[in-house]
Amino acid sequence: MRLMSTSKFALLCLCLATALSSAVAQSASHHDVVIENATVMTVTHGNIKNGSVWISDGKIMDVGQTIKMPYGATVIDAGGKYLTPGIVDSHSHIALDDDVNEATSPITPHMMMKDAFDYQDKAIYRALAGGVTTSLLLHGSANMIGGQAVVIKHKYGASRDELLFPNAPRSIKFASGENPKRVYGSRDQLPSTRMGNFAVQRQALVEAQDYMREWDAYNEKVKAGGKEAKDATPPKRDLKLEALADILRGKLMVQIHCYRSDEMLTEIAMAKEFGYKIRAFHHALEAYKVADQLAANNIAIATFSDWWGFKQEAWDAIPWNATLSMRKGVRVAIKSDSEDYTRRLNQEAAKAMRYGGATEEEALKMITLNAAWIVGVDDRVGSIEVGKDADLVIWDGYPLSSYGVPEKVLIDGDVYFDRSQPGLGTTHYKEGE
Amino acid sequence: MQPSALSCQPSVNMLRGHSCPRFLTVLLILLLAALSSAQDHPIALKGGKLLTISHGTVENGVVLMQGGKITAVGAASTVTIPSDAKVIDATGMTIYPGLIDSETQLGLTEISAENMTNDLVETSEEIMPHMHTAEAFHAESALIPVARMNGITNAVIAPDGADTLPGQDSFIQLAGGSAPEMLLIRDNAMPLNFTGDERRNKGGFDKRRFPSTRMGLAAQLRQAFLDAQDYKSKWSEYERKKAEFSQNADKSAAKGKEKAGEKETAKKAEPTPPKRDLKLEALIPYLDGKKSIVLAAESPSDLQTAVSLANEFKLKFVLNHIAHSQPVLDYVASLKVPVIVGPIYEAPKDEERYDTVYSLPAQLYKRGVKVVFASYSAHGVRNLPDAAGFATAFGLPYDEALKAITLNAAEVWGVADQLGSLDVGKTANVVVANGDPLDVKTDVKQVFIQGQPIPMTDRQVRLRDQYSK
Repeated sequence: MRLMSTSKFALLCLCLATALSSAVAQSASHHDVVIENATVMTVTHGNIKNGSVWISDGKIMDVGQTIKMPYGATVIDAGGKYLTPGIVDSHSHIALDDDVNEATSPITPHMMMKDAFDYQDKAIYRALAGGVTTSLLLHGSANMIGGQAVVIKHKYGASRDELLFPNAPRSIKFASGENPKRVYGSRDQLPSTRMGNFAVQRQALVEAQDYMREWDAYNEKVKAGGKEAKDATPPKRDLKLEALADILRGKLMVQIHCYRSDEMLTEIAMAKEFGYKIRAFHHALEAYKVADQLAANNIAIATFSDWWGFKQEAWDAIPWNATLSMRKGVRVAIKSDSEDYTRRLNQEAAKAMRYGGATEEEALKMITLNAAWIVGVDDRVGSIEVGKDADLVIWDGYPLSSYGVPEKVLIDGDVYFDRSQPGLGTTHYKEGE
Repeated sequence: MQPSALSCQPSVNMLRGHSCPRFLTVLLILLLAALSSAQDHPIALKGGKLLTISHGTVENGVVLMQGGKITAVGAASTVTIPSDAKVIDATGMTIYPGLIDSETQLGLTEISAENMTNDLVETSEEIMPHMHTAEAFHAESALIPVARMNGITNAVIAPDGADTLPGQDSFIQLAGGSAPEMLLIRDNAMPLNFTGDERRNKGGFDKRRFPSTRMGLAAQLRQAFLDAQDYKSKWSEYERKKAEFSQNADKSAAKGKEKAGEKETAKKAEPTPPKRDLKLEALIPYLDGKKSIVLAAESPSDLQTAVSLANEFKLKFVLNHIAHSQPVLDYVASLKVPVIVGPIYEAPKDEERYDTVYSLPAQLYKRGVKVVFASYSAHGVRNLPDAAGFATAFGLPYDEALKAITLNAAEVWGVADQLGSLDVGKTANVVVANGDPLDVKTDVKQVFIQGQPIPMTDRQVRLRDQYSK
């Protein structure tokens, strides 16, 4: 029974009135769950020992050592274990059935990752079992301007539409450096150099400006009304240019795959040239070299904890990147970019404590609230606060270590993973049912 | 190790913010001393918690090192520290033997995507036992200091798994003045990969070349070992004839002194040696059971096919990977061979539970199988202990996890008399860290290899310091 509307539920109650138990009748309008006896790692307001969280209809209603306890709520005893917000992976390519790159042209902003989204991919479940509840599924890095991302909740086993994060802001993927030049250069096409990369990107944005001007002129005429409006003919719609224009209009959050620090600076300059904002640099392995500039422009990074040397532009990667950048005021997220690492992002975040001495809360923020900001959903997930979605993980063991593994994972208040379950350990149930 | 290897300035910043100033100061003095002296003074690590591996934990212990060896290990009250020893206060530290990674590509690659920096595997043919990783090993690789700074002091280097027989492994030490000093054992073992499903089966019929199926891989491998048997007997036959010939020659020479003139008629033709074949020659130590095959397979069926092939030629082997062989773990146990379980991060198959591979070490241990860990990596070797720690969350006892990257590995690779535990007489590969070696947060403060303090710096530390100013 999932978020059935009140009227439908009332009808059901009416039909089965005599058969229903009193307990169900009492919770006719709300499904209340209380997780108690947990060390609640809120991310935003410290840890609460012996803490409790009250969830109603998928939202967090109260958090604290003493909370309002609704009558008839189902109680989950966390047995003193750690409770964290669900992990947010701000850079993932799972569940796309290998349709990650439309590598047939360096500019493909009208590709919608949602159209390739495979909600039955087991990788969603394996990440869920590692505590991931939200992921940003991005286009790959073959193209300078790839496609538009889809944001998912890891409600493995539910219907496709239930896995789509409701009303998540739109993101678009840019790339730079080796990947585009390798993909097109190997075919003797433009771009095959970094200057080619940026020329292709600038050309696309110039065309978008023209397209936008045409539409702006048309809309102005329509707005003016009268004869002018009657005579006005709309320009031809072009999905590609429309998507690019949305970048210029600030309707798309720009997520840029970028390794080298010089390229980050060029990307920042180009964003200023065309008047859009960069939400985050992804990978960003040299962010520590230009952290001041990133902070000044309010650009976050979604980086690896300690990957390095897999290609030339990753040669200067250092495991202190996350903490050095953070100390200079950059919002830092640790992401997976990997079907494997997404299953243990908690360990990856813990490395920030070792390399550069991030605090527990700072490390946890890198895989929750900061990652949620990059995705644009930090008002909904990423911390344990009243009003946020009840995406929660109960950990067997301390999560920021080699040893912590999720015992139960809840999304919107429902249990989607329970380690004690047989078989795949996947499930979808409301506590108390 | 040559003094030149110690010429880098030890990093002060590395330890900044951590509360061990005394440890640091003594260490700095020691490092500087090591640069100028021949390291004959004993070094005593005093006051730390010793994880000996072979005989439990010792609180407030002492490890004494001299001449590259461990000369004493025990509680502070029981070890007499010589008066000329340099004493390092390791109070609050955890001290354990250098870690051993049972399969890496260290020294065989620098930048993965840059092919000219890769010497990983010859893919022109499947049967390449005459490839010696020792001959490609790049001692000055920037990856080696990065790995050893996290306490990995020894490793197996293996060719990439893209061939059935990709060549021979080496067992290395992660410090030394030159490649020969670091290559402790050349050709210590040879991988045999029966992982056909992961390799040659792809592509349409037009693209195929032999072997493109498991039957092809098996037939080719069997032929190679048969040829090697044949080759071996030809050579034995030759050696026998040659011995016979020289015996006869000696006899006739002796006779010749007595009866000059008869010698021309009595002389037989000298036997000609068979043509040398490097491939077949390389297989002989394995056919003779003198060295171990590292047998890789994933699924139950591939595993059993590979084992029967190995048994057909009476090969000595250890198992590798077997990530998807959970249904036949009792069979695996019955083989009574160690298993390299890898970093346990391989993805389960779609029908498998999420923790199927994570729990493999624990499931094997329960059945009495000796497990060792490998990172199967080059850039990621430093994370070897994290995988062992993670396996404990899925049922592997902590002490076994630690053994799997120390003593068990030393036993599997035949170096347990020198490595793998804190015991008197063993090579002084010793790690000093600020906590639990298997936890991802633990910071390694100092590594000793052959009793020498390793400069705790690498190109990443240097970049960090350059941009921290």
